[in-house]
Amino acid sequence: MSFAGFGAVAEQLRRSTVQVKNGRRGLGSGIIVKSDGLVATNAHVVAPGAAPVTNGSRLSVELWDGSSFPARLKVRNTRRDLALLRIPTMNLTPATLANSDELRVGELVVAVGNPLGFMGAVTTGVVHAIGRRPGLGPTKWIHADVQLAPGNSGGPLADARGNVVGVNTMVVGGLGLAVPSNAVKRLLAGDLQQASLGVAVRAVEVRTSGAERLGLAVLDVVAGSAAEFASLRAGDILVGIEGQDLHSLDDLEGALEGTEERLLRLQFVRGDPNKVRSVAIRLHCPQVAAA
Amino acid sequence: MENTVVSLSNELAKLVERFQPDVVAVHARPHYPSSGVLWRPDIIVTADHTVRREEDIQVTLSDGRTVSAALVGRDSRTDVTVLKVKGLGSPTTSAARAGVSDPARAGELALVLGRSPDSGPNASLGIISAVSGPWRTWRGGRLDSYIRLDATLFPNSSGGMVVDCRGQILGIATSGLSRIAGLAIPASSVNRVVDGLLEKGYLPRGYFGIGVQPVVIPEALREKLSVPGQNGVIVVSVEPGGPAERAGVLLGDILVGLDDASLEGIEDLRSFSDSGVIGKLVKARIIRAGAIAEVGITVGERPGR
Repeated sequence: MSFAGFGAVAEQLRRSTVQVKNGRRGLGSGIIVKSDGLVATNAHVVAPGAAPVTNGSRLSVELWDGSSFPARLKVRNTRRDLALLRIPTMNLTPATLANSDELRVGELVVAVGNPLGFMGAVTTGVVHAIGRRPGLGPTKWIHADVQLAPGNSGGPLADARGNVVGVNTMVVGGLGLAVPSNAVKRLLAGDLQQASLGVAVRAVEVRTSGAERLGLAVLDVVAGSAAEFASLRAGDILVGIEGQDLHSLDDLEGALEGTEERLLRLQFVRGDPNKVRSVAIRLHCPQVAAA
Repeated sequence: MENTVVSLSNELAKLVERFQPDVVAVHARPHYPSSGVLWRPDIIVTADHTVRREEDIQVTLSDGRTVSAALVGRDSRTDVTVLKVKGLGSPTTSAARAGVSDPARAGELALVLGRSPDSGPNASLGIISAVSGPWRTWRGGRLDSYIRLDATLFPNSSGGMVVDCRGQILGIATSGLSRIAGLAIPASSVNRVVDGLLEKGYLPRGYFGIGVQPVVIPEALREKLSVPGQNGVIVVSVEPGGPAERAGVLLGDILVGLDDASLEGIEDLRSFSDSGVIGKLVKARIIRAGAIAEVGITVGERPGR
């Protein structure tokens, strides 16, 4: 019996896998999604921790053949932990994005990335589950029984044909969690772009009208942002969106998704916790980060 | 690009699709659920070590419903717990279950199927890394075969279904019987335990009614009595009214043989704690007052499980 194994699939996938770097430091992996220099990766890869990598940084992308290009951040979506980078080159080998809705539990998958700085490492396994993960909000993840390490983040998880079904994002309880490829497609189509509100928040418990509820305390308001324009201040506590109670940070991030210019009504308390105020914020098209 | 990997991947996904309707999530411990298998009509089997409470047990079914389950019985020695959910109906893959004919073979692929209430069915793949004959678990139960898996068992995998690449249900997955690997509790053993638990609610255990401690038999005595083994077990307590007392076993007797087998340690007594020997007359060879004596003990049923 001849058994080709994953060799051919892995080799093909390596051509479309890149390393995302800041200066000389490797940040993670990325996937070439368009031959004219569009690379998908995780939002957390290009912005480790709270400090966002701005366009002034030395963000670069290194291809499988060792060539390196300066990269610009085009789009970031923190809710789905995805980002798109643009590099100034043509004729790249893009990965094929599979329809992740058709992925089945039990299918063989292969992950390529740069775990711990080791370039182009391949691991294989099966799709363990597809769905929510407790503590990670209502979004769907691909849970893969593959061995991943830091540096795999942003790299491809592909099916037996070598088509990308997800973006490897984190390891939880020994399982690799990947954002489904259909989310990448939506990001490419512009559906997942987020408007910028311009606030830094943290989750707090607030007691309004005698009931405990989740609030997002505004820690900082960015100068010139939509939030500042609407007179939000540090110390305000956001408690609702369009009249609906907030249940997670995810609710706010979700409300910011979309490309059209629109008004978003936020409910918040300032000082007196029993007096819920409302403010309408004009959200702008997220063209600020684009080239 | 159809190749071997693609067709293997398809076959694995098909196996998951075929068997997952009979795999449930079991809520019987704090924090995170385990898995279970619809084994017979209305009967769910799970791994006993994942059952931490005996009331308020729920199961999440393949259609997403979460329903209450009653505890039928549990056997920690084989790590099997049996639950009942009225009106659940028959397993969809019962035909396959009846047909566990080919023994498991080391090196073959096996899937471990579980269910999580959050993400639905889940699967782990690995090879069967070792297969051997009947063995006794560290909890004391006897299993028909030792089937070691190299698939990763996640916290919710125990109690799930182990399926081989030919579509046979090998048994129930457990991480509770070995420190080094996940094992499959063989389907034939599961059937035996299910039968027993459905009948009585517990598995009766054989019982002599003695407490023993291993001792070394002095060289001179061994030669004089031509006792084959170096060790025996000395009787340090005799349960009043128990089978051994009724047979005339005395404190201080040293057991050196049961039936035709020599007895050199407590391990050798274990097989007489299985349910099959209850009521059997066992010939015990003992050293008493420097001489060999033979006593017939009728194995009783261990009281107050």
